[in-house]
Amino acid sequence: MEVFIAQLLNGLSLGSIYVLLVTGFNLMVLVARIIQFAYPHMVVLSMYACWEVLQLTNNMFLAILSCIAVSVILNILSEPIFRRLTNRESIDINASFVVSMSMALVITDIMSHSLNYGFPIAFPASWVGESLIRFGLIILSKGQIYAFGGGIIAVLIFFYLLYRTKQGRVFRAMAENRYLARLVGIPIVKTSIFSYFIAGLLGGFIAILFSVFLGSASPHLGEFVALKVIATSLVAGLGNLKGGLVCGLLLGVAEVMVMGYISGSWSNAIAFIMMLLIVLIKPQGLFGIKI
Amino acid sequence: MKKNNILKIKDISVSYGPIRALNNISLEVNEGEIVVLIGANGAGKTSLLKSILGIQKAQSGSILFLGSDVTRKATDKIVSSGICLIPEGHVIFSSMTVLENLQLGAYYNTYDMSKNLKRVFEWFPILRERSSQIGGTLSGGEQQMLAIGRGLMSNPKLMMVDEPSLGLAPKLVSEIFNILIKLNKEGYTILLAEQNAKKALECGNRGYVLEIGKIALQGNTQELMNNSNVRQAYLGSSV
Repeated sequence: MEVFIAQLLNGLSLGSIYVLLVTGFNLMVLVARIIQFAYPHMVVLSMYACWEVLQLTNNMFLAILSCIAVSVILNILSEPIFRRLTNRESIDINASFVVSMSMALVITDIMSHSLNYGFPIAFPASWVGESLIRFGLIILSKGQIYAFGGGIIAVLIFFYLLYRTKQGRVFRAMAENRYLARLVGIPIVKTSIFSYFIAGLLGGFIAILFSVFLGSASPHLGEFVALKVIATSLVAGLGNLKGGLVCGLLLGVAEVMVMGYISGSWSNAIAFIMMLLIVLIKPQGLFGIKI
Repeated sequence: MKKNNILKIKDISVSYGPIRALNNISLEVNEGEIVVLIGANGAGKTSLLKSILGIQKAQSGSILFLGSDVTRKATDKIVSSGICLIPEGHVIFSSMTVLENLQLGAYYNTYDMSKNLKRVFEWFPILRERSSQIGGTLSGGEQQMLAIGRGLMSNPKLMMVDEPSLGLAPKLVSEIFNILIKLNKEGYTILLAEQNAKKALECGNRGYVLEIGKIALQGNTQELMNNSNVRQAYLGSSV
């Protein structure tokens, strides 16, 4: 039972990271109208930035700051590229997929050639929090607790912002009906750029959570995660924020449970077979496509 | 009584690719008026309203709103200066609540939002009852009321209403037109585009008849109603 609880906590931590990733991805789908395949890659690159700063200065605050800054800058920089594919009423969503895939490949290549000689990076113990905390038979590292708490809080805050604030309402309005959003006076281009900024901010935070949770990163981490993010959002229904919340958490828990009880090497195959079945049975996703 | 000019359109033309939708249209709306724009389907009523709001840019001519040129301005700037358009087909944000729809109408007008909200609820008590309900679950008439309420939330100096009667039962159509007349009496200036010429002419002060992108006739609604061409083409009576 204790093992199960420990695994469940781990699963929820990983799940909340997936939820944040899927939500950032869906925000771009809904507001900017692009498929941003490279979003997780940008998160991983921000983890690298965080690691570099930790190596150079050993200053945690500076590392957090640079991680978020890099993520915001990367996302904002991609905006002018995608804007060429869009106009006010419609967007070529397929073209955006191709463009973001090339971005993703370039980022992966940069990480595997130029950063840390292509070797995986490991975050220092002080960052991950090696000290262990015991509850009966459950042993958790501090990092696991931070990732769990931070992940859940971030999800709550982000969904509060989306559903209870004016800016969140504006994002959802633009997602639902761009034409009507324009009629009520929402500045479409400005709001779209702002969504890149918010996605970047969120990405930086995900990078911090991820680095604490995993304690390491490798050049190809972005690819693994990107596949899961896009698959999760398709299973939930592309652009469905609430669906992403449920499916992200489920994926995290399922993955950790498979790792814990069956075999780690099968967790990807099981996750993707389940997704394949769901998409075959419900092509619109479990919760419905929202664009 | 000299009335202030709110909207003054001079010789605008709008084309979609090679197709010319509007041809040298001139039109004026004065403060406190209901100006009706009648014409058959495809005559260019919606195109005209869209070009006033900057959604479809006019290729030539000028649009003055409250004395300033808005011809080349972006839609959000035009909306924030005080024009609202209630589009045809009672369009609302159907996955959002009634309250959220109204709040979105006040994008530039958050300052007196609660006051406006109270006023809209006074106009449309049904919206208060349904305020936490999802917009898409409202009936057609309620959705049209919500669309009008959303427009009112922006404190518009000019309300443009496109085909409010579209897809509504006759009883509801009369109700919506009565609301527009009441709003006008409260001081709202309205530009109304409508296929239902009889109803529209009954409630307006002045009118313009649009035919294939051109103004065919203009004048007092009384004059228009008595005009034999209008009677024949739009009011369905034999002369």
